[in-house]
Amino acid sequence: MLYEEFDEFWQVARKRHIIFFYVGYFSQHVVSAISQTIKARLDTAGAAGPTRRRIFSSFVEMSQNIMHYSSDTLTPDMQDEGQMRRGSFCIGMKGDSFFLLCANPVSTENVERIRARLEPLHTMSMEEIKSAYKKALREETPETSKGAGLGFLTLARDASAPLEFEFVQEAHDPDTTVFCIKAII
Amino acid sequence: MEPLYINASPTSPEIDFRFAQHTLSIKGESYPENAAAFYGPVIHSLRDYLAQCEADTEITVHVSLAYFNSSSTKMLFTLFEALNDAALAGKRVCLNWYHDEDDDTILEFGQELQDDFGALDFIDHPVCSN
Repeated sequence: MLYEEFDEFWQVARKRHIIFFYVGYFSQHVVSAISQTIKARLDTAGAAGPTRRRIFSSFVEMSQNIMHYSSDTLTPDMQDEGQMRRGSFCIGMKGDSFFLLCANPVSTENVERIRARLEPLHTMSMEEIKSAYKKALREETPETSKGAGLGFLTLARDASAPLEFEFVQEAHDPDTTVFCIKAII
Repeated sequence: MEPLYINASPTSPEIDFRFAQHTLSIKGESYPENAAAFYGPVIHSLRDYLAQCEADTEITVHVSLAYFNSSSTKMLFTLFEALNDAALAGKRVCLNWYHDEDDDTILEFGQELQDDFGALDFIDHPVCSN
């Protein structure tokens, strides 16, 4: 019975061509450990060098986003070292391409700010994304960023289609919204 | 000036700044949790070193990073800006930029550096991945 229960779960993931799946708290240790696994897994999945690098880069940006910005945190919200925050992440294959999907809760009041950063990327060409990236690289880091304000631009640059995103308000907690983002490589 | 050496970790590069020999090297992968906390002290000692260097010093820099995340990118840009300022002030700074030959992201970042920091003597080193 034990294995049956588990196997059911695994079959669903297999049917969806999921090659990696993690739900839980993200700390720098978890990011580092998953990195090793993903590198090995992509080797066996036969991804070409540049594709592998784009997937790896997108994984790091997504998982560090969760670690820095998820509103479900085990560590004090203001702390920016040794953080542990909750989110979900998966990598799958669809046809010839890979996709990365991640989700984490955010405070509903931050939704518009996040949307305002992502929406313009949706209609940009790759050339425009690269030039926005170059511009952001030379600008002061935004105050609300723990990184460089380059995270979403990096994801957009590494993707082969516009980033898809969605906000789903939690039914029982209107102050919390789940932020979901998908990158196709 | 005392050298600065920081061991590589799985998510941060080795820093080997031999100030007395004027040889600075950064090697590994860079995606620490807090890039500003990691690179802040590194950039600080680099600035101290550059401030006390003789005007006509020749400085050799080796950067061999297989991967860096977005927040490290920003910090590296600041670090190269400090080197470029030193080069504008008369020092000779040679930047050896190593990257996998098919890694267009790191190649393009190297081109960005050349565009912005023209005072650096930039030497591109594509490395064969096999």
